[in-house]
Amino acid sequence: MLSINNLHARIGEKEILKGINLEIKPGEVHAIMGPNGSGKSTLASVLAGREDYEVTEGSVIFQGKDILELAPEERAAEGIFLAFQYPVEIPGVSTTNFLKSAVNEIRKYRGEEPMDAVQFLKMFKEKMAYVNIDQSLLSRALNEGFSGGEKKRNEIFQMAVLEPKLAILDETDSGLDIDALRIVAEGVNKLKGPDNATIVVTHYQRLLDYIVPDFVHVLYKGRIVKSGTKELALELEEKGYDWIKAEVD
Amino acid sequence: MSKELAIKSFQAVGFPTSKMEEWKYTSLKNLNEIDWSWEELNLSVASIDGLQICTLQDLLNHSTEFKAKWEGKDPILEQNPLFALNAAICENPLVLWIKEGIQIEDAVHLSVFLKQDKNTAFQSKMIVFLEKDSSFSIIESANSQGETPVFSTFVQEVFLAEGAQFKYVKEQNLSDSCTYVDQTFVYQDSNSQADTFTFSLNGGIIRNNLHFYINGEQVVSNLNGLYVPGANQLMDTHSVVDHRLPNSESNELYKGVLMGQSTGVFNGKIFVRKDAQKTNAFQSCRNVLASQKATMNTKPQLEIWADDVKCSHGTTTGQLNEESLFYMRSRGISLAAAKTLLLLAFAQEVIDTIPFEETRKSISEKIIAKIEASNDLVI
Ligand SMILES: Nc1ncnc2c1ncn2[C@@H]1O[C@H](COP(=O)(O)OP(=O)(O)OP(=O)(O)O)[C@@H](O)[C@H]1O
Ligand SMILES: [Mg+2]
Repeated sequence: MLSINNLHARIGEKEILKGINLEIKPGEVHAIMGPNGSGKSTLASVLAGREDYEVTEGSVIFQGKDILELAPEERAAEGIFLAFQYPVEIPGVSTTNFLKSAVNEIRKYRGEEPMDAVQFLKMFKEKMAYVNIDQSLLSRALNEGFSGGEKKRNEIFQMAVLEPKLAILDETDSGLDIDALRIVAEGVNKLKGPDNATIVVTHYQRLLDYIVPDFVHVLYKGRIVKSGTKELALELEEKGYDWIKAEVD
Repeated sequence: MSKELAIKSFQAVGFPTSKMEEWKYTSLKNLNEIDWSWEELNLSVASIDGLQICTLQDLLNHSTEFKAKWEGKDPILEQNPLFALNAAICENPLVLWIKEGIQIEDAVHLSVFLKQDKNTAFQSKMIVFLEKDSSFSIIESANSQGETPVFSTFVQEVFLAEGAQFKYVKEQNLSDSCTYVDQTFVYQDSNSQADTFTFSLNGGIIRNNLHFYINGEQVVSNLNGLYVPGANQLMDTHSVVDHRLPNSESNELYKGVLMGQSTGVFNGKIFVRKDAQKTNAFQSCRNVLASQKATMNTKPQLEIWADDVKCSHGTTTGQLNEESLFYMRSRGISLAAAKTLLLLAFAQEVIDTIPFEETRKSISEKIIAKIEASNDLVI
């Protein structure tokens, strides 16, 4: 479904991704861990199409398409979704209006009829239950003045509405209280299916108790330096990154 | 002064040019090339209960209160050649008189329609007198049609006696070959409230001058405005809020969305005179350059002679936030649609101030249409 080959990316003069290789098949969950500043969010942003980063080498093929050629909105329409580590505040635009625009633009891209107000209402209701989010939050300006946890929950609500093929969750667990973490993780699990895949970027093993990964990768200095199964996360939790750094440096 | 003499003496000085401080960014020099036919544009409104429509002479004869105000006002109009000419030409200004205690709920509609076919310089004038504790609202729309050059000066003088309430919505939707100069004077006595809502949607050159004289205590003056120039349009706001007595409040909320190669100008003066202690005066002017070729010139000017006052002003001019645009695009919203959403959200705050629902809706729709249409051309 997604195959990343020798991906290099830089911002300005600074090279951040230095040859990433990753294969993801439908139905799989991949966890990406790694020390602060190793390039995890950069990888997520490059996949979503952020233009600040310049891809200097390598390729990203998603469902047979070279997505590096596509604009961020086209990638979204192809089915890529990024839950931001730091969701952006959009003053004056409510979550519901924002999502109505998003859904209908994606439908237009796919040659589908736009959804009407009644259909939206029904769909939003259903999806709100996934992450137990309150209506009052959705009618406020998107993310404006939201607490850290509310922002993260809202990201997953958006994911539930957009039903992506590939969801990239960048530290969605940080900022969530213990109950919220469980609710959000359950929401993510409900959205999982044999046809879609998930990349979970996290620092903590706890999330992986709920969203169980098929593979765990360690990103360090812009490269994936170690891959394993869910046991690797447990090992990292116990030992930290020093032993891996020692192996690499 | 006779009309002919007034035209002659105006022609001797000509239209204001950028050499004049007050017209630094808004030169009307090109208008000097045109052989204008100066004409009075007579304005009218439908008569409604409680509203007296009369002549200036009637009002002067029948209201000593008005006479005193009329004779005591600032001679600033006569000193400006453009407005002196307007005064000489406008023999039949629209005069609206609302008597003591009369509360008129429904807004009166005023249309300023400029027909463009023979280089006409339309001159119009309106005088509004609100007696003690009366209330009155005007929804005005200025429109023009045609492609030949047209010029217009529209002067309004509004007098609010104690406790009077006045709301004034202006929608300016003019053609690109139109130069429109609007001058609003508001004289306020104690406990009165005047709210203006100026929406400049289209027009080659639009210059809005607003001049508020706060001649009483517990006065509230709210000046709201939104300008959305596109293409080569120029929209200029010059406001003066003159606090002369203590304990009053003024709020200015101006926003601009500048598209195409357009230019915006905001010059906001606040005077707080020595006697105007405990004045609250706020001014905010925020602008988004929706295109790299648009420019905005802002100049807030506070002159404060009193020591116990709360005044603040803030002017900002920025571009759309890149982070926001990426966030929206990452959800599937196209760049153009993301820009439109952000610009409308930005403009909404001013649109929301319009106190009449239907007008609010129709102005909002026109702004959406304009922003959507110009988005393809942007950058
Ligand atoms: N706009 C930028 N300009 C300069 N350096 C940048 C920029 N964006 C990211 N970087 C640098 O790239 C490196 C990788 O950042 P990134 O955000 O991808 O790390 P991360 O692995 O997500 O870290 P964390 O665990 O703290 O979220 C960091 O050293 C960061 O400072
Ligand atoms: Mg990160």
